[in-house]
Amino acid sequence: MRCQQQLRKGIWLFSLYFLFALLQVKAQNGKIISGKVTDDTGKPVPSVTVQVKGTNTSTSAKNDGTFSIPVTTGNETLVFSSVGFSEKEVPLNGETSITVKLDNTKNTLEDVVVIGYGTQKKRNVSAAVVSFDASKLDERPVNRVDQALVGQMAGVAVKQTSGALGKGFSVQVRGTGSISAGNEPLYVVDGFPLATAAPNTAGNYANGNPLDNINPNDIESIQVLKDAAAAAIYGSRAANGVVIITTKRGRSGKVKLDVNSYAGFLERSKKLDMLNADEWIDRATEMINAQWVASGPGRTADQTNEQRRIILGLAPGAVNTTYMTDDRWAQPGHPGLRFIDWQNEAFRKGLTQNHQVSASGGNEYVRYYMSGNFNRQEGMVINTDYTSYSARANVEVNASKKLHFGINISPTYSISNDPGVEGKDNILHQLLSMTPVQEDTMGLYPNIGNNGQYKWSNSTNSPIGKLQNIIGLTKRFRTITSLYGEYQIIPGLNFKTTVNLDNTDNNSKSFAPYIVASSLATRQAQLTAQSSGSYSSYKKQTFVNENTLSYNKIINDVHDLSLLAGFSYNSDKLDNVTLKSNGGYSQNNISTLNAATGITGSTTESRNVLLSYFGRVQYTYDNKYLLTASLRRDGSSRFGQNTRWGIFPSASVGWRISEEQFMKDIPVINDLKLRGSWGRSGNYNIPDYGTIATVGLYNYSLNGASVVGQAPTGIINPDLTWEKSETYDVGFDVTVLKNRISASFDYYTKNNTALLLNVPVPLVTGTATWLSNAGAVKNKGWEVEVTSRNIVKGAFLWTTTANLSHNTNRVTSLSNDQSQIIIPSAYGASTQHSILRVGDPMYSIYVVKQIGILTQEDINKNAALYGSETVGDPKYFDANGDGVIDLNDRVIVGHPTPNYVWGITNNFRFKGFDLTVLTQGQWGGSIYSLLGRALGRTGQGFTDNPLGFFRDRWRSPDDPGAGKVGKAYSTFGQIANTDWLYSSDYIRVRMITLGYDLGRVIKTKKIVQASRIYITAENFFGHDKYKGGFNPDATNTDLSGNSQFPEPGDYGGLPLPKSLILGVNVTF
Amino acid sequence: MKKITFYIVIIIAGFLSACEKNLDQSPISASPEENFYAQTSDFIQAVNAVYSGLAAYPDRQLNLSETRSDNLYAVSDGGVRDWEGVNDFYKTLAGNTYVTEAWQSNYNAIFKANTVLEKLSEKGSVISDANLKTRLEAETRFLRALFYFDLVRWFGKVPLIDHTVSAAEALQIGRSAVSDVYNLIISDLQFAVANLPDAYTGADKGRATKYSAKGILALVYMTRSGPTYNINGPGLGLSEWDKALAQLNDIIASGKFSFITSYPTIFSYTNENNSEVLFDVEYSTGSTPVVGGTFPWLLVPDTWFQSQGKATQGGLTIRPVSTNLLNSYEAGDTRKAFSIQSGFTYNGVTETRSFFKKYVDVSKTPANRLDWPINFIVMRYTDVLMLKAECILHGAAGTQADVDAIVNQVRARAGLLPIANVSLARLMEERRKEFAAEGSRWHDLVRSGLVESVMTAFEQTDDVQHAMQPFQRNYIIYPVPQSEIDVKQGLYDQNPGY
Repeated sequence: MRCQQQLRKGIWLFSLYFLFALLQVKAQNGKIISGKVTDDTGKPVPSVTVQVKGTNTSTSAKNDGTFSIPVTTGNETLVFSSVGFSEKEVPLNGETSITVKLDNTKNTLEDVVVIGYGTQKKRNVSAAVVSFDASKLDERPVNRVDQALVGQMAGVAVKQTSGALGKGFSVQVRGTGSISAGNEPLYVVDGFPLATAAPNTAGNYANGNPLDNINPNDIESIQVLKDAAAAAIYGSRAANGVVIITTKRGRSGKVKLDVNSYAGFLERSKKLDMLNADEWIDRATEMINAQWVASGPGRTADQTNEQRRIILGLAPGAVNTTYMTDDRWAQPGHPGLRFIDWQNEAFRKGLTQNHQVSASGGNEYVRYYMSGNFNRQEGMVINTDYTSYSARANVEVNASKKLHFGINISPTYSISNDPGVEGKDNILHQLLSMTPVQEDTMGLYPNIGNNGQYKWSNSTNSPIGKLQNIIGLTKRFRTITSLYGEYQIIPGLNFKTTVNLDNTDNNSKSFAPYIVASSLATRQAQLTAQSSGSYSSYKKQTFVNENTLSYNKIINDVHDLSLLAGFSYNSDKLDNVTLKSNGGYSQNNISTLNAATGITGSTTESRNVLLSYFGRVQYTYDNKYLLTASLRRDGSSRFGQNTRWGIFPSASVGWRISEEQFMKDIPVINDLKLRGSWGRSGNYNIPDYGTIATVGLYNYSLNGASVVGQAPTGIINPDLTWEKSETYDVGFDVTVLKNRISASFDYYTKNNTALLLNVPVPLVTGTATWLSNAGAVKNKGWEVEVTSRNIVKGAFLWTTTANLSHNTNRVTSLSNDQSQIIIPSAYGASTQHSILRVGDPMYSIYVVKQIGILTQEDINKNAALYGSETVGDPKYFDANGDGVIDLNDRVIVGHPTPNYVWGITNNFRFKGFDLTVLTQGQWGGSIYSLLGRALGRTGQGFTDNPLGFFRDRWRSPDDPGAGKVGKAYSTFGQIANTDWLYSSDYIRVRMITLGYDLGRVIKTKKIVQASRIYITAENFFGHDKYKGGFNPDATNTDLSGNSQFPEPGDYGGLPLPKSLILGVNVTF
Repeated sequence: MKKITFYIVIIIAGFLSACEKNLDQSPISASPEENFYAQTSDFIQAVNAVYSGLAAYPDRQLNLSETRSDNLYAVSDGGVRDWEGVNDFYKTLAGNTYVTEAWQSNYNAIFKANTVLEKLSEKGSVISDANLKTRLEAETRFLRALFYFDLVRWFGKVPLIDHTVSAAEALQIGRSAVSDVYNLIISDLQFAVANLPDAYTGADKGRATKYSAKGILALVYMTRSGPTYNINGPGLGLSEWDKALAQLNDIIASGKFSFITSYPTIFSYTNENNSEVLFDVEYSTGSTPVVGGTFPWLLVPDTWFQSQGKATQGGLTIRPVSTNLLNSYEAGDTRKAFSIQSGFTYNGVTETRSFFKKYVDVSKTPANRLDWPINFIVMRYTDVLMLKAECILHGAAGTQADVDAIVNQVRARAGLLPIANVSLARLMEERRKEFAAEGSRWHDLVRSGLVESVMTAFEQTDDVQHAMQPFQRNYIIYPVPQSEIDVKQGLYDQNPGY
């Protein structure tokens, strides 16, 4: 509390001072320099930023390339910069009128990259930093910032884990190093480090993803700090890398108005191959006959249903669906039955649209960027949609030569409708396995309302009925605000303070009416008691205050020194409310909880505070030798008194070898820099009060009434401390052939030690695991990025950017000298499939191998069997050679993270046309798909519809099928095996955009400065090997059922949306 | 401008001093342990939490005793169910959910009990009523004994933990000899017998009494008097039938309990805490957090509830009653229809197999399937009488006439004619039907020495699907959960046969 008071006082004082300073602004004495900026062909370049070097005085060139700027002495140097051109410095030497020619054969090494608490020229960067120029993001349809990162940067694996709208992606920088404390990077937006959030055990962000509701069209650039040397300035949150996002700012000059609009459709990019209705009948008949034959002596498959009825002693007309088929299956035209392709019924073509208007401009005192955005997407599944409204104002004020301040504010509001499509036992999973044959009278609505269920169908309530009747509504209001002030104490020495608040209010409402619940008899007997609903909300607030002192000085023209020192205060607060109906609803047409017969609810709050001190030295000698060192000390309230502080140092060196005289003789090399770095960062993603022993409720009942019971929730580790990540990185950046080809290469090893691992302890302690600093994981890999401007002259231009990264990870130790931990399964021992084993990748897949189909000959030769297996059942590999198949025969057969991730972007320009093609992919990883298991397992009943591979099943010794899938009727049960193992390799043409510059046909340049139309195809082409699901990257279900070993996996994830979109960009 | 620099310095200095204190955060929505155990009600609540460790006790008896025995023939029904391996004597049970649960829940409850005992000696002075303090200790020790008794019957040798242990300490404690575990159980129960009240009134009904402790103590003596089978199981071959009988006779002599003449009334939803009950696991419905039970539907197929127009209960598929048990009921035995539902039709599908529905009053189906109100009786007066008969047949004081009288009293209630010269095997057969679905069958088979012959014969007659592995003596107890074996190599040895 006192802290916040101090802070309020501080803010107040600063505000007062700024006001005071503002009044002191007065006209400057001196000279006015005027001039003109052109490109290398002499054409004027508009909107070039002209800055007096070493000051905050800047302006922007007009449309005809002319500018004027005030200077004091006339001997200053002017700096000209513009997107697409190399930055140029021009010493005035007393001249008052100059013409400047900018070089548009841009050298990317001249770019400025944003690093933690500052910027740096790319050529001077000695750590592993990768940049993505996002300023053109509004020229293609992108709905989320993380979507824009897919396939763009080496070492940054971005996975679209959900096809649902508005959902966060998974971003992993250089593999995964933490077993249970999260692997998502820290996001920093305009210097504001957002609260880190790890996905929950099901792969969802229950309390929001940091990038939710951030409008990608407002983004100027994105940098990813990959190695610890770059990231360590963010200390305890940097172990998984840092993603720095910079939003657009205004430039001095005339108002620039941009309108970007697009609209198009989206639909599924993939359909899962399931049996069709005829094939289902064929399989069901086969299984029912087999069940009949097995049910007793004298029962044969050729006995008719009538004969079976008599044998079973059933009344005329009565059926037993276990032993009898539906007579209508075999009748021509199957009268009274309807064949349904459930996937086709649920998927649709949805409209998607986005409209953005932005204005930017300014003068030497004020610069601004403002935008408003409307986005609406209708999902590929009926009754799903997402709408968002967002606005942004970035305003900077130069109060005086020494003082400037600014504010960034971005309120956003989003509404999404999703009745619960993805995940186990949710609608998508259910509709896949829904029986494709139904009574014609019920149509698409079996087991809904007054409809019963088709006797041979599974008992699922119609997924179409659920999609149409269940409400799942989420509304989110988020505002990110940053206020900052910067004061130049003496030339080169600046003090900067920022105050940031990120506030999210999220509420979700769900309602499932009784008509889509339970069975007909129950619905009719209990009516509204089967209705259920809930309302939950969270409020998340991150408050950050950062204060830095920076000093820049160039001594004797060769010693370039930058110093930084600072401290920050960071507080995260989360309030949760959940309310649930209990015992149904009193009325059916009300979806809010006032109509619930009973309500249970609770609220919870938690908070954590992070306090940090940090400093950095950057030194460059003669533009050749680069040195950076940083140190951060973080203290977190999550850890105990004695262990809460951690120190995170880093250092990096670079040698711009191309600046050496002996290299200047090699003209083919324009720039070559060797880099090496080391650093240590941390991970603190544990619950807020993870080191404080608490008592929990363990109520009991006595004499028919509840009594309160309380007891310790378990044993607590008071010495818990930071997870450490140590990275070594060596690399080089090279530019050759007249800047035509630039490339970067990095090799790294990242050792994560003292993992925040839930270490299994003997249950006799009262607890299964305790959070401890134990175990280690090593990631090793290399990354290469190449940009090649293949054709640079003439009407046709072609640029290629490619990246490829390779990562392997190994568990190098566990606790108590354990050699392995078998990851539990949420669905029983028969689906257990993951292992942490020293020497193998994290979450390696550990199952029995299927090696064919059992023949009579195998059985005669005493082949190893699992339980009561017979001919036609799968043949498994007896790994331990003990003559039987059991869990002891499991072997490691794959690992989830891919070995290689790559992306290629090709950009072509021809006259007014531009064409961009982004292709990306991965290989070397595996998926253990529980969806694949649910849809195609041994022992599966006949009602559920299985995967298409059942077409090629074993039917008899004479008709053994493809040798992969055993007989449909199997009674031996199941064991986790390679049946459900799929390769996660894929190649995907993520985006093709074809644009045309309308400026060539519209000549009214007075109003419209630039205009372009484009058409984009997203996810139109691709190939993957995942036959057991839609999306190899999908995560939607908690597979381990254990927060200590989070293992999100696919149990019904949507395919990626494929969209065709027409858009227009206009600049006024 | 100097002023600005001055302000900056002031603000930084003030800020740093104030903010470091902010790192001391304490939970907002949870209660720190250091503030607990400060008043009498805290200790009562702490003991209640130990009772809550019983919550899964009934389910466990159904999963591990009923399902493993000849009462159920729960082989694969297409799907894969965790009970299948229990029923079929799989060797790979070390990873089985039910087996792990038995270890985990009991030790978690023991942890709570040990915590209470330690806190009572550390901070118990806040309890001004000395009798209450002693009673709380006695209740806790009774419960700890019950948890250890449960463990020793499932696993044989188990680690003996009589105080709270750190992770490091736990890694040094291996499995203790069965006899050592019994020593703790018996000393706890003797303390409970000496210090628990005869009965409770009002809101305290359902707590352990002196006679609860005597009943369990008798069963403990009898269990360890059972044969050893040459395994480290619950039987030690001791002959303590007299000791057991003394406890049982005390209960009978107390007059606190009576033999209810209507079998269904014992299990009636409106007759809980009745005069048959020595100790039960208590539940009630409609509270938050839920304090209801799940055991009533555990063996019942979901579709049956639906056929009754009730919401799904999550009972999955059927766990059929064995033909062997069905056939063993004599004609006219009224307990059969009460305990067992034989077949039903739902959605046009006729299920011909039978299942236990002893605890289900379908009219009392709760809105939440995890919230059934009915108590689960751990020991009832009929049990006391029949255990007495068992002691007599093993040579404790008493006559064959006493045995016959007890058995015939039970038979008469079931509508059956009296019999004479009841043998041990015959007594166990009566127990099988009297206590069907009450979770005692496996323990009865093991204690009486019949398990080997009965289960081997059962497999020959009832395992028509040839799904079961041949019975071995090693299967009398379960394996130590694999997760525990994996914690530290060599800490616990695995039971033979697994």
